[in-house]
Amino acid sequence: MTVRQPQFQPEPASGSEIVVATGLVYRYPGSAQPAVVDLSLTIPEGEVFGLLGPNGAGKTTTIAMLTNLLRPAAGSLRVCDVDLLRKPHKVRRMIGLVPQEVALYPTLTVRENLCYFGRLFGMGGKDLKRRVEECLDLVGLRDHGAQRIETCSGGMKRRANLAAGIVHRPRLLFLDEPTVGIDPQSRNAILENLARLRKQGMTLVYTTHHMEEAQQLCSRLAIIDGGRVIAEGLPEELIAAGEGCRNLEDLFLQLTGRQLRD
Amino acid sequence: MKQFWATFCKDLLVLSRDRPGLLVLFFMPAVLVLVVSLVQNNILETTGASGMRILFVDEDGDMLAAKVRERLGAVDSLKLVERVDDEPLTEAAARRLVAEGDYQFGIVIPAGASRVFRVRSREQARDAFSKKRREEPQVATEAMPTLLVFFDPTVQGIFRTAVTGSLNQVLMGIETEEKGQELSRALNTALAVRSRGFLMGGTVLGEKELHRLLVVDSLLSVREQPASDRPDRPMPNAVQQNVPAWALFGMFFIVVPLSGALLRERQEGTLLRLRTLPVSYGVILLGKIAAFALVCMVQFSLMLAVGRFLLPLFGTPVLELHGRLPSVYLLALCAALAATGFGLLVGTAARSFEQASMFGAVSVVVAAALGGVMVPVYVMPRGMQAISAFSPLSWGLDGFLEIFVRGEGLPAVADNVFFLLAFFVVTLGLSWWVFHRQGRTGC
Repeated sequence: MTVRQPQFQPEPASGSEIVVATGLVYRYPGSAQPAVVDLSLTIPEGEVFGLLGPNGAGKTTTIAMLTNLLRPAAGSLRVCDVDLLRKPHKVRRMIGLVPQEVALYPTLTVRENLCYFGRLFGMGGKDLKRRVEECLDLVGLRDHGAQRIETCSGGMKRRANLAAGIVHRPRLLFLDEPTVGIDPQSRNAILENLARLRKQGMTLVYTTHHMEEAQQLCSRLAIIDGGRVIAEGLPEELIAAGEGCRNLEDLFLQLTGRQLRD
Repeated sequence: MKQFWATFCKDLLVLSRDRPGLLVLFFMPAVLVLVVSLVQNNILETTGASGMRILFVDEDGDMLAAKVRERLGAVDSLKLVERVDDEPLTEAAARRLVAEGDYQFGIVIPAGASRVFRVRSREQARDAFSKKRREEPQVATEAMPTLLVFFDPTVQGIFRTAVTGSLNQVLMGIETEEKGQELSRALNTALAVRSRGFLMGGTVLGEKELHRLLVVDSLLSVREQPASDRPDRPMPNAVQQNVPAWALFGMFFIVVPLSGALLRERQEGTLLRLRTLPVSYGVILLGKIAAFALVCMVQFSLMLAVGRFLLPLFGTPVLELHGRLPSVYLLALCAALAATGFGLLVGTAARSFEQASMFGAVSVVVAAALGGVMVPVYVMPRGMQAISAFSPLSWGLDGFLEIFVRGEGLPAVADNVFFLLAFFVVTLGLSWWVFHRQGRTGC
């Protein structure tokens, strides 16, 4: 008997760059050290870009700046060919966020949640209805659309959370640890969904602590530590460049060390 | 606009599925208005119209006890009880029943009170016409027994004053009448003596005539009526005063579910998602304010319906609006906006659901107490009255009392409308500032 892991073949990138971040700096008020220091990133369109790093490395702060939740103290930031710091509203139409928490209203049904977030993007009528059903299909929740979020299982909630992030057809989707705390079946389903989204041409920026998952899914990745990018490139090239590294986890531990992070 | 309506409808849908929240918003205030109005109605009756039962112990068995019984029994607010369990009352039994809280008051007319009272009245009357006795005051032959009033220690001062006031009034009347009769006798006797029998006793000023003069023909009388002489103004009563006051209190409790909803959005991550959307958070907040203000208005309408249709079934007067519904609703809308503004501020500034619910609920109770919802502002100490002027519930309540009790219209409540709207604008501005500060700092 053989066990097969689902394989996600990286699609070729379209060539243009959807995120160009240069020299980003962010310091939280009252903090002695900046959370992000002179961080530069380039993400080609159509990639699944993995943003890896230990706890406190600056991943969430980076995502927050790329999604316009935090304004960098210094640096420039172009997202979807628009200067994010000057025209944030325009960028927000083209990006989606799947937060680590299940960011949905528990007493509303899955369908009601998707409709609400769709309407906030200005969608409505038949287009919204059709798109909501497409998203439910994509995440395998069509039969559970009328179920309240509070009664869904952990895996269903995660899939609904993903659906809410893509209801407006974003060009660029940010996913902050979308597979935390769910069973392998749900995790596998989410990874399959992400692969499908990539095939549809969506660029995914993805943070995770599962190195095996990142190695399978990501076409390109960056490892962040101490608020800086310490490695960036294709997964296989990065692993090959690491001395004695057999996989991404070995490389990650080699670059970030084995000491515990709080 | 689409985003505004989406948020408005979403929040109403979320609220409609929150059963405990609906209970807090609709059922509890309705019960509050019902119970407080009925209780207050009874208090007003007790202090002025009917109801208080008083143990009456007659150890005298003579004229004084009979007159006190007759005249106290004629006071609407008092009902005299002389037998308990078919047994005539003794002082000891009455004391025990009052001490145990079964009755609130007891009155004892001691044995011999009538006899001593007559003797002392006669002595005083004779003294008045005797030069010798006036110059050399006589020592009373017998001390007047004291009439006792005892009360349950839990009885509040206002009720003690009401009962002792009624008793003193009755005793003063009896004493005046008795002394008048004795004076008349003494005067007639003195006149007969000085005219050497030419004027017979009782012919100049008869006792019956004196009784009519002193007791029956009252020259001074008091009639209670509102200060305004306009016939269209509502009569002040417990319902007119309590329904708007407690409806306002209930409306401000929107602070608890509203701040809770904001905190849940923050804790569950939906706020994070909302902040990445291409819609101003101000539009989302406006949708939320509209939804919760609408809930307040529905809640207020329910309270008015309780006052108008439900309370009268329990024997209270009907809540009268006297055609001032538009003014009432405008003021209620301003109060609803002030309440939602405060809810936004609490929900934005609080760091946990416990903080928001505790601070929200307690601050509303404090503001209600300061605003005169529980105790009228005019009976508060001067310092508290000054603080009361800063309570939004005070602005709302003053406005409602102007309309419901004084029968005024919109111009009279313009200040109240302005202050409530200003409070809404200030709280909204502060919420906006706190929200952006949190956004900048990421916490």
